[in-house]
Amino acid sequence: MTSATTALPTAVQNEEGLPPVVSQGPALLAGIGHGPGLHAHRDRIGPAPRLGAQELVELAREVDLRGRGGAGFPSAIKLASAARRRAVVVVNASEGEPASHKDVALMTCAPHVVLDGAAAVAHALGTREVHVVVPSELPSLRLIVVRAVRERAIAGERLRVRLHDAAPRFVAGQAQAVLQLLAGRENLPVTARAPEAVSGHRGRPTLLSNAETFAHLGHLARVGAAGYAVHGTADEPGTTLLTLRGDGWDPEVREVAFGTPLTEVLAQDELTRPLLLGGYHGTWLRPGQLPGLTVSRKGIAAAGASIGAGVMLPLAQGWCPLVRTAALVDYLAGQSAGRCGPCRNGLPAMAEALQDLVHRGGPVARVEELCGLVRGRGACAHPDGTARLVASMLTRFPEEVDSHSLGTCRSGQPGMFG
Amino acid sequence: MSEHQLRVDWPACTAHGLCAELLPEVVSLDEWGYPIVHEAVTGEVLAMARAAVKACPTLALRLIPAAPRPA
Repeated sequence: MTSATTALPTAVQNEEGLPPVVSQGPALLAGIGHGPGLHAHRDRIGPAPRLGAQELVELAREVDLRGRGGAGFPSAIKLASAARRRAVVVVNASEGEPASHKDVALMTCAPHVVLDGAAAVAHALGTREVHVVVPSELPSLRLIVVRAVRERAIAGERLRVRLHDAAPRFVAGQAQAVLQLLAGRENLPVTARAPEAVSGHRGRPTLLSNAETFAHLGHLARVGAAGYAVHGTADEPGTTLLTLRGDGWDPEVREVAFGTPLTEVLAQDELTRPLLLGGYHGTWLRPGQLPGLTVSRKGIAAAGASIGAGVMLPLAQGWCPLVRTAALVDYLAGQSAGRCGPCRNGLPAMAEALQDLVHRGGPVARVEELCGLVRGRGACAHPDGTARLVASMLTRFPEEVDSHSLGTCRSGQPGMFG
Repeated sequence: MSEHQLRVDWPACTAHGLCAELLPEVVSLDEWGYPIVHEAVTGEVLAMARAAVKACPTLALRLIPAAPRPA
């Protein structure tokens, strides 16, 4: 396997204004050393691939390509459902999760890798209508996409591309919220009546996927199943993008092959600390679980976690995982769109119950009760994701929970019980 | 025997609580007044479930035929 080589600073910025380091990768990020322009891109990999719907569905099925927005839905099924008359293509690069930067990094360093995928999908579905959703808080990214789209139009590509600016909030990237944005309504989740591939934008079949997913589809269409499987394992071919320490002071975006051991992804001292995997809606893992794991959807699922959108957050040195979780739930409660009663009421109550447990030895039962009360009771997965984070804290750190219940902190977190 | 599921349109629901009044066999209310659907709607309460769907002031309830249980 080829390991990351040069580290390029980019125009990508996260909320704190710290640019993640983006390293050259084996497939999607292979050309970032040549810049984001179309000419360099075409010189390197040739023309955009053109396949029929059936061929593309078959390829996606063969390599078991999954969506990279977090839910991991099989792309072949989505493509097959959307392959009907008057289909619409939606590229979601809005990345509402503050600890994830991989879609923005990909769009910034390799916009044509994503747009080749969008063009391949549009061609396969027999449509010219492509929507690209970008985060409104990153105007520089919008300019990069505008320039890339213009380069392609000059080169003769006949797609109608429209850009949309997603609201800067956690739930804005959720599929139904994106469809609301496209329809000119507020960028917030609503109840889904049908999967968007069946009835999406203006009731039309809509292939809405995350930017990285389109990049994989384009790459797959170009190199074929065998070429795609050059990286990864027999069971899980290909690569995936990861954001490491995405809300820390030294964030990093890396493309790694499936099957890469976590020991090659995380630093030695990070392997000795708890890891929050899958982002703020993700799952905690204990340090002891990490050395045996590889970057693998199935392996990580077997460990009781999910790779989600590829976010890996090692707990900072000296921090208590309970204190960290309580702070995250405070943030997540504030990110509720406030539309669904159980989320609007339940998440602030959960944040309070956690602060109570962590800082005042309050009852664990109340935290558990609230997890049960919000789960499955909203238009989007925000309450479920928050409950998942909290539930994983309770199951992975029972000793820490016990000591906080007794009014002490095993990590000796400063400012505790003061 | 036909089974139905009661679905809540969460953004539409504003916690009037009529569903729990009309259909206590299936629906109770959480601490904020929002419905908790406990079980599937079976034959004997189907008529009352239909009444609850109709009575909801925000039209936030839907009764759908139960799909085969997902794995």
